Amino acid sequence: MNRKLLMFLFIMLLLAGCYDRIELEQQSYVVAMGIDKTDRKGVYAFTYQIANPEVGSAAGQGGADEAPAEIVTVDGADILSATHTANSFVTKKITLDHTKVIVVSEELARDEDFIRVIQSASRSPQIRRGVQLVVSREDASDFINNNKPLMEQRPHKYYQFMLDRATQTGIIPEATLHRFFQITEGDADLFLAIYATTEQSDQTENKKTEDQYIAGEIPQIGGSPTQFMGSAVFKEGQMIDTFTGEETRFAQILDNTLEMETLFATIPDPLMPEYQIAYNYSQKEDPSINIQYHKEKPTTIDVQIPYQAEILAVPSLIKYSQNKEYQKVLRETLTKRLNEKTAELVRKSQEEYRSDPFYWSLYVRKYFKDVKDYEEADWHKKIYPNAKITVNYKMEKLEFGKMINDSNLDEVRD
Amino acid sequence: MRLLSGQRKKNSSPSDKNISSSLSSNIQEMKQLFSYKLNKDFSMRTLNLKFNHKEACLFYYSSIVDGARINLNIIKPLLENDGDSVSNVVSIENIEEVSDFETANENINSGKVILFIEGDKMAYAMDVADFQHRAVSKSENETTIKGPLDAFTESMNTNISLIRKQLHNSQLINEGIQIGERSKNEVNLIYLKDLVNDDILENLRSRLKDIKTDSVRNVEMLEQYLEERPYSLLPTILYTEKPDKATSYIEEGFIVLLMDSSSACLIVPVTFWSFFHYPEDRYLRFFYGNFTRAIRLLSFYLTLMISATFVAIANFHSEMIPPDLLLAITASRERIPFPLIFEVLIMEIAFELIREAGLRIPNPLGPTIGIVGALILGQAAVEANIISPIIVIVVALSGLSSFALADLNINFTIRIMRFLFILAAGTFGMLALTGASLLFFMYTASIKSFGIPFFSPMSPHFISSEDTVFRKALKKELFRPEYLRPKDIRKKAKS
Repeated sequence: MNRKLLMFLFIMLLLAGCYDRIELEQQSYVVAMGIDKTDRKGVYAFTYQIANPEVGSAAGQGGADEAPAEIVTVDGADILSATHTANSFVTKKITLDHTKVIVVSEELARDEDFIRVIQSASRSPQIRRGVQLVVSREDASDFINNNKPLMEQRPHKYYQFMLDRATQTGIIPEATLHRFFQITEGDADLFLAIYATTEQSDQTENKKTEDQYIAGEIPQIGGSPTQFMGSAVFKEGQMIDTFTGEETRFAQILDNTLEMETLFATIPDPLMPEYQIAYNYSQKEDPSINIQYHKEKPTTIDVQIPYQAEILAVPSLIKYSQNKEYQKVLRETLTKRLNEKTAELVRKSQEEYRSDPFYWSLYVRKYFKDVKDYEEADWHKKIYPNAKITVNYKMEKLEFGKMINDSNLDEVRD
Repeated sequence: MRLLSGQRKKNSSPSDKNISSSLSSNIQEMKQLFSYKLNKDFSMRTLNLKFNHKEACLFYYSSIVDGARINLNIIKPLLENDGDSVSNVVSIENIEEVSDFETANENINSGKVILFIEGDKMAYAMDVADFQHRAVSKSENETTIKGPLDAFTESMNTNISLIRKQLHNSQLINEGIQIGERSKNEVNLIYLKDLVNDDILENLRSRLKDIKTDSVRNVEMLEQYLEERPYSLLPTILYTEKPDKATSYIEEGFIVLLMDSSSACLIVPVTFWSFFHYPEDRYLRFFYGNFTRAIRLLSFYLTLMISATFVAIANFHSEMIPPDLLLAITASRERIPFPLIFEVLIMEIAFELIREAGLRIPNPLGPTIGIVGALILGQAAVEANIISPIIVIVVALSGLSSFALADLNINFTIRIMRFLFILAAGTFGMLALTGASLLFFMYTASIKSFGIPFFSPMSPHFISSEDTVFRKALKKELFRPEYLRPKDIRKKAKS
């Protein structure tokens, strides 16, 4: 009797188990996904870039001449149901577990229906919260199709390295899906998505310096045509503007929730303005953000940013390192320039966007008893646009690198 | 049933008799008892004693006694010397008076000479045993780099001498208990009288006396007669061939069991840690020893879990694999005709085959195992698209780490559990794997060896030297394990 019962239990276990078991080779792994508008309302074009496992793997024997990825586009109402439609010409089950980026065309991002289609991404456990949101100037399907990296041919590697490095330099923000929903549903602040394109813009002006571009404007010779630069500004789940790389960097400096590793930038040489001085901006501490909320009069926001600078290049060959006077001028110029640039960004956000891309609403929430109170105070409409904001940079350390003296031009050319 | 017991009674009835004062009837009795003439090595020697001018007779097994000693120390003095009693005539170190045939029988079987004298109701048993055995050799199965190399051999006296050599203590007791009905074998309990807990000792004695079987030839079989749960996967008695390991346990208050015919001993009671530890951990310096322990803990985990975890993740949780690895596995699996779990099982079984075959193969053929195992199963199977390369890595890792758990018993436990875990992982993924390992862990915690919980002194907590996963510096080990309730818990290291 006992033995029969055990047998029964064992067989039941085996039968009940395995129901969601799936072998690895029975799945197709989507690395990048694109969403575009179509002519019909409520129907979108979904593009899936599916990695070819046999490319770049020592074990794949016959895959040498196959493409590193298969790119398919289908129409559908939402991200998941479109995968089944795609199965009419994709051989295996389309799995979104390993998706690295979701590319959205600027046209769709600026549409008020964008929030409706992206919503389904948060519902499914298949799409990770860490997926990066990229806004492309052209159609997302064009972006994915045109993106032909020369070195990292396997797409997951390309996106991983490209986004990691660009985020470290601060020219694009960290734009996870999680953060998108967090900010959008928090009903305050602005969300910054990564801005990218594969099409060269007509306005490639050369007068701009290193980070004052948005994607597509950077004069480029050679390499992959895809440029990641700047960010797309989202207010209440809808794109309203773009930031240049420089603005994106300042937004990240002011935002304590975003990590930016290091920043190389230039300023005009204060003593010989025709040359540029290159410096490495770094922050050892987070900026202190101090908000005094006043119900009746404007809220004051006081931001102190301690920073360090390391001079990388002085093409004017002026001996800043040896001269205290020069150093003082350099310090003041640097801090002044940072202050001005930031003030400009803050002004723009207060007047144009009437909200902040710095996630500062976090620091005002402590003044409210509950969510209702906070919502009534209204960050977007009342608190932020009217706030008195002061941002002060404070240089903690100025370094000159490992070589103190530059070449003495008079001695070199005698 | 009655037939069986009747036979036994008839067979053993003659030896119940007492020794009579008539030499001839005694001789008659002995001859019948040992089938004299039929039994070629059973010897008898009659002689005239010089000291009291009486007839006498010696009985012994010529195969298990030292002939020269009998000649020199027994026969010669009896024939030539004067004296007032037997013990003053013969020059043998151990002489015992025997009054019945039962004892005489046992004595002859354990290698003694029995002397019957006309008109004497006592016989004299003199120890001249010389059982053949191997010399003390290097430990083969429990190798060490740092530490004594000698191993027990198949001789009780040698084995006890190996222990006494390390433990100079008058309290070290060597107590003999006879077990077996037809063949009386002696089990020797070795313990420190002023440390060992009397309840545990009494429990062990009564269990030994409760063994009702014809014969228990060696400690390997004794182990199975003694244990509480013969169907459990977990061992509850420690088996070792190293005298230094045995001695270290005696010093803590454990009991060691030895038998004449085994080149190993049993140690009771045990905990999980007894199987996990190894004497070398303590011979190595603090950090080195603990480093080995860390490696062993890792291999414990790897052996049990790595194949199962791989199956669970690959079949149910592919999102957990980093994309590069995922694509590599997928690429190699595209040409494999079997499900992943089947692949893993094929390789695990193949590994067990190599292991078993390698153990049984005659020495001169040994190298073939390497060629067949490594080449056929490793490379060729991958090239024939039967196995994907990652499976070879996973299984090799799990097989290799199983060797780091040197104790044979625990090694089997882990190796068998591994298959159960793989099956569990194959049915419900991580959920079942977690469940199965939890159940296994709970079961392990519930096991008791001679009343001692398996995970003590960690859980339940007891005072001890705190030598569990990692050990403390030797000077900081102040206590004996409290779970044994030893008579003296404090080691005298610090006064």
